[in-house]
Amino acid sequence: MAKKGWDEFEIGAMLRSFDGSIDDIAGTPQMDRDYSENSSYTASVADWRLIKPIFNKDYCIDCQFCWVYCPDVSIIARDKKMIGIDMDHCKGCGICVEVCPTNPKSLLMFPEQADEEAEIASWPAKNEEK
Amino acid sequence: MSEMKKIKNLKEFSTSADRFEGANLLCPGCAHSIIVREVLNATNDDLVLSASTGCLEVCTAVYPYTSWDASWIHIGFENGSTAVAGAEAMYKALKNKGRLKQPDRNPKFVSFAGDGASYDIGFQWISGCMERGHNMMHVVLDNEVYANTGGQRSSSTPIGASATTSPAGRVSYGEKRNKKDMVSIMASHHIPYSAQVSPNKWKDMVKKIQHGFAVDGPVFINAASPCTTEWKFDPKDTMTIADLATDSLVFPLYEIIDGRELNITYRPKNIVPVEDYLAAQGRFKHLFKDQYKYLIKEWQERIDDNWAYLQRREEARV
Amino acid sequence: MAFDKMELNDIEVWDGNFAAAQALRQCQIDVVAAYPITPSTPIVEGYAKFLSDNYIEGEFVMVESEHAAMSGCIGAAAAGGRVATATSSQGFALMVETLYQASGMRLPIVLNVVNRALASPLNVNGDHSDMYLGRDSGWIQFDSYCPQNAYDLNFIAFRVSEDHDIRLPAMVHQDGFMTSHTAQGVTTLTDDAAYNFVGDYKPMNDMLDFEHPVTHGVQTEEDWHFEHKARQHNDLMTKVLPKIQEVFDDFEKLSGRKYNIVEEYETKDADVCVVCLGSSVETAREVAGEMREKGIKAGVIGIRVIRPFPFEQIRDALKDIKAIAALDRSSPNGAPGMLFNEIAGSLFNTDTKALLSGYVYGLGGRDLTKAHLVDLFTELQANVDAGKVTTPLQQFIGVRGPKLSYL
Repeated sequence: MAKKGWDEFEIGAMLRSFDGSIDDIAGTPQMDRDYSENSSYTASVADWRLIKPIFNKDYCIDCQFCWVYCPDVSIIARDKKMIGIDMDHCKGCGICVEVCPTNPKSLLMFPEQADEEAEIASWPAKNEEK
Repeated sequence: MSEMKKIKNLKEFSTSADRFEGANLLCPGCAHSIIVREVLNATNDDLVLSASTGCLEVCTAVYPYTSWDASWIHIGFENGSTAVAGAEAMYKALKNKGRLKQPDRNPKFVSFAGDGASYDIGFQWISGCMERGHNMMHVVLDNEVYANTGGQRSSSTPIGASATTSPAGRVSYGEKRNKKDMVSIMASHHIPYSAQVSPNKWKDMVKKIQHGFAVDGPVFINAASPCTTEWKFDPKDTMTIADLATDSLVFPLYEIIDGRELNITYRPKNIVPVEDYLAAQGRFKHLFKDQYKYLIKEWQERIDDNWAYLQRREEARV
Repeated sequence: MAFDKMELNDIEVWDGNFAAAQALRQCQIDVVAAYPITPSTPIVEGYAKFLSDNYIEGEFVMVESEHAAMSGCIGAAAAGGRVATATSSQGFALMVETLYQASGMRLPIVLNVVNRALASPLNVNGDHSDMYLGRDSGWIQFDSYCPQNAYDLNFIAFRVSEDHDIRLPAMVHQDGFMTSHTAQGVTTLTDDAAYNFVGDYKPMNDMLDFEHPVTHGVQTEEDWHFEHKARQHNDLMTKVLPKIQEVFDDFEKLSGRKYNIVEEYETKDADVCVVCLGSSVETAREVAGEMREKGIKAGVIGIRVIRPFPFEQIRDALKDIKAIAALDRSSPNGAPGMLFNEIAGSLFNTDTKALLSGYVYGLGGRDLTKAHLVDLFTELQANVDAGKVTTPLQQFIGVRGPKLSYL
């Protein structure tokens, strides 16, 4: 965000999360909210990542462990389904992969440069030892 | 009283619209935000929040960004609880005077603080808030160390942990004192509800937070918050460490109602040796040297004792 | 409204504390978070009693320290309502951290400071050590000389502080015991007139507006902090004094009582002038009158607004004075006094040939007697006659032992 001069911002270093008013925040999904430019939702920490999760929905059972244990609000769940990862906010911690209970896992970590389609095409098979 | 949010299972919980945002500056794998999400998502009611100075605060409101979608305030290190208490007092005053802009809401007042800001520097402020009966919840993000300032011991740091001000060395095993029993101290204020929670047991957490929101009066919650940076484990292992903490009974999960009735809320099917919990963290690495191995035994005995004590208290119903 | 109004006599006999408590009642404070400390305690006790007797609707939060008192006030003010408290001395010192936080967040809070010395050694009596401790905290500071001022300035403080162009917290100072516990006649306002003067609280960036969530108390580092501090300083330097003058004018229309940012007494043709604060202003005025009978053209300047410092008003008021004494009631501990420094700064770069000397007096409640002031005016006249400062620049008044003087 552009660095403003001393006369160009709200007094008290106050920040607003949304532009305009919002009636029912808890009932409004993130995609339907009018975030202000000051919400960190509009920012990205993608450049923190060295490794990234890739989601293979073929094996997902929508258990939502990844959703509840994601520290970065980066697992996108809609109508009780896991539908993907918010790559602007994912820091690549790998918790989602650790807590994923399927066999093979529906989420795996790869180098940041990895190609999603290629990795899904060569997804590991079920681990019979488990 | 507003209607309690229905959360039967994790699928239902996952329909929550988060009021805490990503692209905050917390470390990858930080448990703080997992706890915050579980607390905030336990209700659909409006929220008035505070954070005391610490990791959560400095990582979620760095100008010009905020990660909070509910009204939030930070004043200082010691007084986040009192900030919320002041806001709650104003809510009561304006409600009585008919001056609330949205009079039909049922806001919940929650202060978040680390163990340093709760067990140490903010102790008096929290005690005051609990004693005065404010309708508020104080949640400790207990990572047993001053993580924001780089890993100094707090009065929550357990025996044998290496912290920067109680470092393990050739002639020292690190921290010499055991952590203080903050849940008991707060329960002794005879508040309606106090509890220990851990983010890996999300259902237990949500149930307790909802209980806390439902009661009239102050609520104290101590949340285990495994710290990838200061406990020294891989960021991906945060939930694994939390599982070890609850299943070894190092962080037993229980609640105390009205300062008296203690209920254990989680009994591990397979109790894990404390040694496994210690071995998983770099801060206890030195305990596995021959000269300090006796401390691991003492750890196990202490945890066994505490578990027996909790069970006796639960049975006694006093 | 569900509370009872109080019928006041046109003139009541009140001490400064009760006058301030009555003002808080009439302003209908929503939340008072407070902690007792001598000599300010009766102010918040007064609020509590008015609440118990249904003369106020609000919340009194009796906290466990002054730090918590101001912390609670900050939370309450950020939530969005009228907030006040009172303290003194050590309590003020304990609050200092939060004073900066309140002003930095631009929260309107009125703090009655009943001035008292700072330990060690411990002392419960009046001096201005606590007032001086707060002078860089970003608050507006009003000074009372008597119970009437303590009453009036509370209304004025709320009007200025809560104005959306200002949004800065304000202190109303009064001298411990000399003002706070000395009963005098106070001309009152009716409850309706007082409340209408202050007006309904108008929320701004209020946390309890659930449709507009707000984040207060952010972190700023080297890339933003300077701009925010500069903004606050700018508003103090450019907006506050004009607003205070406007409110003073309105208050005069309402009450007939005229307040000035700098209170001048017999300065128009004065050769010598004392500049001071608090209850000493009234003593100095009396002595100045007596000095004039003796042929010394004496005047007195009382500073009504200590912060923002009325640099230009002081400069203008003193420009034709020949000898000036700055009276500081706080131990400067290794420097000239605050008033000495501020006045010197105001007069520097002007054409004045005024002779400025400083006096430290009254620490820990030691009386400043008329005899002290007679001597002081006489010294100033000697300076005028000699055309130079004939004494050291800093002298102590009324302390036992060998005479203390420096510089």
